[in-house]
Amino acid sequence: MFHLPSALRRWETLLLAILAVVVLFNVTRSPFYLRIDNLVNVFELSIEKIIVALVMTFIIINGEIDLSVASVMGLAACVVARLHADGVAMPLAVLVALTVGLLCGAFNGFWIAYVGLPSLAVTLAGLIGYRGAARILLEDKSIGNFPEWFNALGQRPLVGPFPLALIVFFVMLIAAAIILQRTAFGRYVYVIGNNKEVARYAGIRVKQVKMRLFMASGLIAALAGVLLAARLGAVRGNTAEGFELDIITMVLLGGVSIFGGSGTLTGVALSILIILNLRNGMSLANITGNTQTGVIGALLILSVLVPNLVGRLRALRSRMRPATTGPTPQPAQEVEIS
Amino acid sequence: MIRLHKPIASLIVASLLLGACAAPVAAPQAPAAPAATEPPAAPAATQAPAAPSGEVVKAEPGKAVKMVLLPKFLGIAVFDQANQGAQEAHKELGNPEKLEFLGPTPENSVAGQIEIVTTAATQGVNAVMLSNNAGDQIVPAVKKAVEAGTKVVTWDSPIPSAEGESVFVAQVDFNETGKVMADMALSILGADGGKFAVLSASPDAANQNAWIAAMKEALKDPKYAKLELLDVVYGNDQSEESYKQALALVDKYPDMELIMAPTTVGIAAAAKAMTDEGLCDKVKVSGLGLPAEMVEYTKSGCAPEFALWSFVDLGYLTYYLTYLLATNQIEAKEGVKFKAGRMGEYTITKDPTREKGLRVLMGPFTVYNKDNVDK
Repeated sequence: MFHLPSALRRWETLLLAILAVVVLFNVTRSPFYLRIDNLVNVFELSIEKIIVALVMTFIIINGEIDLSVASVMGLAACVVARLHADGVAMPLAVLVALTVGLLCGAFNGFWIAYVGLPSLAVTLAGLIGYRGAARILLEDKSIGNFPEWFNALGQRPLVGPFPLALIVFFVMLIAAAIILQRTAFGRYVYVIGNNKEVARYAGIRVKQVKMRLFMASGLIAALAGVLLAARLGAVRGNTAEGFELDIITMVLLGGVSIFGGSGTLTGVALSILIILNLRNGMSLANITGNTQTGVIGALLILSVLVPNLVGRLRALRSRMRPATTGPTPQPAQEVEIS
Repeated sequence: MIRLHKPIASLIVASLLLGACAAPVAAPQAPAAPAATEPPAAPAATQAPAAPSGEVVKAEPGKAVKMVLLPKFLGIAVFDQANQGAQEAHKELGNPEKLEFLGPTPENSVAGQIEIVTTAATQGVNAVMLSNNAGDQIVPAVKKAVEAGTKVVTWDSPIPSAEGESVFVAQVDFNETGKVMADMALSILGADGGKFAVLSASPDAANQNAWIAAMKEALKDPKYAKLELLDVVYGNDQSEESYKQALALVDKYPDMELIMAPTTVGIAAAAKAMTDEGLCDKVKVSGLGLPAEMVEYTKSGCAPEFALWSFVDLGYLTYYLTYLLATNQIEAKEGVKFKAGRMGEYTITKDPTREKGLRVLMGPFTVYNKDNVDK
């Protein structure tokens, strides 16, 4: 049990080293990288994804997954657009969209927490169903012409050079860090992710925790969808399509175990910084398209492979150590990797 | 239980995630989709350089302007051809800067185009040539780029509201497409006419639908009275599906003599289907196709005639116009005339399909047959 935290710390050290390399590469390769407007762009171009990545971290640590987030984002954006086009006041439209997101999350949560269906299946259904609803709302149209204040919130700086969504992200990051690392609820999230049965016998309300997590996921995804609508100034049925994969990538690269029970927000924050800065650096170096996708894909494969490989090597080494109480091992043939 | 689930779950998740890095899943839509026009807001202010109106401006070569050619996504032959044309013009005009050809992946097209426009503005690129795949969602990024001094010219597919866009270079008049298809049908079926069916892309592809509607309109002309349109079916721009749909048409309509496919994917699939099944003597194929993909079928007589505009020329013309705009030799204004190298003179006009837009119409179609298909 005690080697786990240190392994994680090592993972974060590795992330920090990767981040340093990426930043160094960017600084030396492009004179535009360190400009304030570019640094704001680094975040702004993916801001909705990283907001959702925060809540996805909780879900995956809890041993679940939410594949429906991008569809909820799209649905919320389409609800806002549809209602606006039908003459509903914008603040009310936003409120309805957030409520729809919350209900989507509650729907997912109900089947997962109370009926006991696997989240992979339930949220996959959500991914398809909520996207379908979004497409029905907008058909093949694009709806824009939002009020000026709404567009301004999405597209113009609010405080200093920072737009609203960036501020929302940083506030949520701090809140999430406190909840996950400093509260009882945060501890429950880990314990349930480690072993649901143990958690139940320890008196943790497993169902309630899961339900809350999925409702939060729906609500925050809807908020991100509304922010996306404001940033783009127009919405289509396919808005935010495919975002769930980028979001899950960020969380997994951050060292959160897909089996639940381990991972930290520090790791996820570092992974977000790596992916965003890597994308930006490659764009500034005029590397786009498949090369960019390939580099990030390779990074993800590494993030899944390395921890597993390290774990296996460690297991192998402890099996071969003669001092322990296990059966006498065969003569050590393999080379030890230290 | 848990031990059993983990490997399965991780396999599924891994394959889902890898899907994100894999090759294009979605069938790329044939280029050029004029979307529904939206009520636009204030247009971008134009600058005030340039020659007196009415005069044809000839480009002064050798000016250094950083330019980016941005297709809907990478990996599509016609966009590579557009790049080839743009590079040709780039060399001709002796622009000492490099012309970048940058594009997103198909599954990340909207976000990718926004990112590339934003980054171009940061880098101080003078002009972006955009085949827009993001509808009006690209507008905030384009407006910011224009504020930063980057000109945005669209080609192949415009910005619906025209906001931020200087000019749209249209390949052909969309109404003309319908007439060209009707003419080809008449030419293949002969004066006695005959029955034909349309194999289109997807039921909601805006451009194909507009072309088919235009063709139906053209067919009302008494000249085409002996042509009978049997059906319109959809192959969703997937080769295999289009292939099956073509064969299904043959089964359903024994007296059908022609399949008209206004999509490069559909026409090639239909021609292959007829060839494979030895049906070419009975059923001919026509529509919009890429010469490189159609050579075999045109030479064999299976697809005696088809049409397309040249994407090489589209890239070439777009580069000339953009170079002239970015170097302030002309301004984006109705009635401005310019010379585009080997392609001759063009005029900036109002875009009849978009309330606030300006366009340069390239036209006309090239009709390919066995004499010019491999040229």
